[in-house]
Amino acid sequence: MKNDSPKLICFSCKFGWGYLDTNIYKNQFKDVIPVTCSGTIDATHIMDAFKNGADGVLVLGCADKACHFQTGNDQTRKRILMLRNVLQAFGIDPLRLQFVFNGDPEGKQIPAVIEKTKQELKNLGPLRPAS
Amino acid sequence: MAEKPKVAIYWLTACGGCDEAIVDLNEAILTVADAVDIVLWPVAMDFKYASIRKMKKGDIALTILHGAVRNSEQEEMAKLLREKSQLVLAFGACACFGGTPGLANFRSKEDIFNWVYQDAPTVVNPKRHRPQPEVSMNGDKLTLPEFFERVHPLNHVIDIDYYLPGCPPPPQLIANAVFAVLEGKLPPRGATLAPAKPLCDACPRNASKPEKIEIKEFKRIHQVEAKEDLCFLAQGVICLGPATRSGCGETCIRTNVPCRGCFGPVEGVDDVGAKFISALAPLIDSENEEEAKKIIDGIADLAGYCYRFSLPSVTWIPHCKEK
Repeated sequence: MKNDSPKLICFSCKFGWGYLDTNIYKNQFKDVIPVTCSGTIDATHIMDAFKNGADGVLVLGCADKACHFQTGNDQTRKRILMLRNVLQAFGIDPLRLQFVFNGDPEGKQIPAVIEKTKQELKNLGPLRPAS
Repeated sequence: MAEKPKVAIYWLTACGGCDEAIVDLNEAILTVADAVDIVLWPVAMDFKYASIRKMKKGDIALTILHGAVRNSEQEEMAKLLREKSQLVLAFGACACFGGTPGLANFRSKEDIFNWVYQDAPTVVNPKRHRPQPEVSMNGDKLTLPEFFERVHPLNHVIDIDYYLPGCPPPPQLIANAVFAVLEGKLPPRGATLAPAKPLCDACPRNASKPEKIEIKEFKRIHQVEAKEDLCFLAQGVICLGPATRSGCGETCIRTNVPCRGCFGPVEGVDDVGAKFISALAPLIDSENEEEAKKIIDGIADLAGYCYRFSLPSVTWIPHCKEK
């Protein structure tokens, strides 16, 4: 079953992916949550997103060795890799939790990255059966 | 002489270890038995459910309920005892968070029935019978409790006044809880009758924790000769101390076994597994994705470790079987 309008929550590092302070971004991507560093994203934040109805979660962080806080992106990557194992044990496709670690200080690539992830979520279908 | 307060002790999906823990109060139980009138305790004495049903609302001063809720009979008893009781204490990990029976929530009801009544190698069931909640036979209606889709902690089914976690709760905390009720010295409703801080704070090995823990490979406790005076995580052995509430008396740690998390999350945390992952991930000594993945994949059953006692408190698992 395809999912035409997947709910994607995106955590985006302000240093790596821009501050998202233009109205375009704010209006276009309501589910983008800017954070000071991807390292501040706790595993409970990601699980809360799924709990509250997300079909997928995307984490945007700085490129390797380029974290403004030195190793924040590394810590989050390890959390994500662990959470993917847990999601798999729950019977959920681990690809519902994605990360892209890259440098895009003006955030221009965000729409394309979100679109690509949403496309993958569409193919996976809804996380929960329609009630 | 004034009537003694009535106390009920009842089990749901439970192993009996919590009853054993109450008996382990030793001589203190004589003081309790003198002070209260036990009106229900199936594991120790003979009482009838009908006599509970005849009671008025609030007749029972305290019900100590242990075990999770998996079927409709347990739900009915939990609701009955809630109705008749002034206070309900969720007693033990199963009642508080679902406990080890809650690990069944990794599977759907259908998966469980398929295995138990069909696919297990010792099962012979050519007609593919499954237990039914209701069957008519020779004009008589036979009933069985309904097996629910999931295991539930008690607070999904009834209102809980106090929580006392543990597998089982230690005698000292049980005694504190019972005497607090008898003496009317209780904290605000909804409180957990155990310290709020994580186990690491009380751990006798806390001082041995190195400045920085760097794990290159996770080991299971049976694969190493664990040192008795060194933090388990510093030895690469998974210990849930950083995310687990203290108050257990550190019994496991003192017998050279790492914490498995039976006291549940610390104050203010719902998802103990996710919180533990947040604590554990930075200890992995790798900044390389491939290597980190290899180290993490080396953990046998990470989800089982994280949610050993608390899986039913994760309510959103959709059982969609994508992978």
